[in-house]
Amino acid sequence: MIDKLSEEEVLHTAELARIEISKEELSSYQIKLKKLLDDVDKIKEIKLPNSDDVNENEKLIAPWSRDCVLRSDQEGGMLDPKEVLLNVPKKSGNYIEVPVVINE
Amino acid sequence: MSNYMETIGTEVHVELKTNTKIFSSSKNGYGMMANSLTNVVDLGYPGTLPTLNKEVLNTAIRACHVLHCNIRKKMHFDRKNYFYPDNSKNYQITQATTPIGYDGYVEIEADGKKKKIEIEEIHIEEDTCKSAHRGSVTLLDFNRAGVPLIEIVTKPCIENSTEAKLYLEKLKELLFYADISDCKMEEGSMRCDANVSLRKKIEDPLGVKCEIKNIGSISNVKLAIEKEIERQSKILDDGETLVEQTRRFDDKLKDTVLMRVKETKNDYRYFPEPDIPYVVLTDAEIEKALESLPMLPEERRQRYLERNVSEVNISKIIANRPLSDFLNEFLDTSIDFSTATNLLLGDISFYLNKNEVTIKDTKLTNSKFIDLVNKLSNRTLTSKNIKDILDTILESEKEIDEIMKEKGISNITDTSVLESVVKKVIEDNPESVSDYKSGKDRAVKYLMGQIMKETKGSANPKMVNEILMQELNDNENSR
Repeated sequence: MIDKLSEEEVLHTAELARIEISKEELSSYQIKLKKLLDDVDKIKEIKLPNSDDVNENEKLIAPWSRDCVLRSDQEGGMLDPKEVLLNVPKKSGNYIEVPVVINE
Repeated sequence: MSNYMETIGTEVHVELKTNTKIFSSSKNGYGMMANSLTNVVDLGYPGTLPTLNKEVLNTAIRACHVLHCNIRKKMHFDRKNYFYPDNSKNYQITQATTPIGYDGYVEIEADGKKKKIEIEEIHIEEDTCKSAHRGSVTLLDFNRAGVPLIEIVTKPCIENSTEAKLYLEKLKELLFYADISDCKMEEGSMRCDANVSLRKKIEDPLGVKCEIKNIGSISNVKLAIEKEIERQSKILDDGETLVEQTRRFDDKLKDTVLMRVKETKNDYRYFPEPDIPYVVLTDAEIEKALESLPMLPEERRQRYLERNVSEVNISKIIANRPLSDFLNEFLDTSIDFSTATNLLLGDISFYLNKNEVTIKDTKLTNSKFIDLVNKLSNRTLTSKNIKDILDTILESEKEIDEIMKEKGISNITDTSVLESVVKKVIEDNPESVSDYKSGKDRAVKYLMGQIMKETKGSANPKMVNEILMQELNDNENSR
């Protein structure tokens, strides 16, 4: 068993999360993230009924087995734009303002 | 002429015409004040849960039906994970593995030949918020977040840009007529991506694919594909290797440009959405969803053709859904459809456009329209009369007979009455008759004038002309 992730794996994960990490953080994340993944892997060890060869219709996708209850197409309450913008660090008129992430 | 065979596939996103959003009860609307159509679910507040809108399923079922797709009876949703401000949950809820519809087609006619454009799948997903880039900042409007979408993916079976255009036009017409979406590309309720690849021969494997994203109009899709073929051909001609890319169409440059993308497919880390259990559809539910399906363009075409409407007018009327819907209200009546379509596409359309109103905004009742068409067919009204009184017909509650009386319009359409007037005028004007016989066509105009004078302008000019010519020629032959 490899006890840590590669530098590339951690950097790629950081890039997907759009966060910058320092050199020290990089080496610490190599170990921490690996531990986390190993914990998640433990779930795989649980033997579920028909867990081999499950097709899309038999997968356990939700923590209960009831079918979906649907909502009728009726309008309900909405938030006032003022409330929407209350928690926003920066706004421009009624818009939420964020730094450009992708330059087109 | 290109040395390569092109292979094209499309992905079309269509916003569904529902009252509310896909997973929340916020209004599904367009053109409203920014961030005024949202609630905690749309904004991805912690602890909120999505609840699926039944009408989204019904609308998607209708889409599957009109696009000849199989409908999946048991499906679930998936999370497509990415970290980007257009989606505050950091994932989009979509159907990655169990699309509601699969293996369908749209039939097009290219160069007189029918061809089925195969549809790989139709899946349901939520729209993201709308982001507008302004220099160093991006402005976000969450009104669009959670608007229901279907994505329609074709197989790579489109062979050229014209086929792509024809497919999109047909798709748009079908989705619009089936009340699935208003399909306004300029407002973003229909958005198109095209995948283009080249290869030398049909036996070769598909070439390297480039995706052109978010093209704003059908004509631009055609142009973007042509430009992309040009670009790829040049690279291959130069002996270079093509790289898989995502590009976009720049409307100003009229060309495709390289685009930086959010992620590549593997990075989306799809997994089943645990907040929405399996969605199960019964046959009865599917049948019920299809009950509300309006008459589709193909059937309309057939019905109008049976009623002797010209091909040109059929295309024009189908391109104008409100007029076509109005016309359909008379399918069970015996009115002359050719006259009715001419009237709708001519004077009535002119009035509606000029006044920026729809036919439903006017005072034109069904019984009034029947009366109007019949009066035109039996020549009680002339097309000139229509121009004089149409405004009043469309703007007042008055019956047409009443309007004609007020305007002093009474067209003599009784042939025997007209014949006696014509005979009298011929008898009274022997000089004009002999002028006509000696080849002076002007004499006919004079005689027509006399007849109109005699009838105080109430004779149908076309009928008068026919009777007059008949009488003059009979007169000549009997000499």
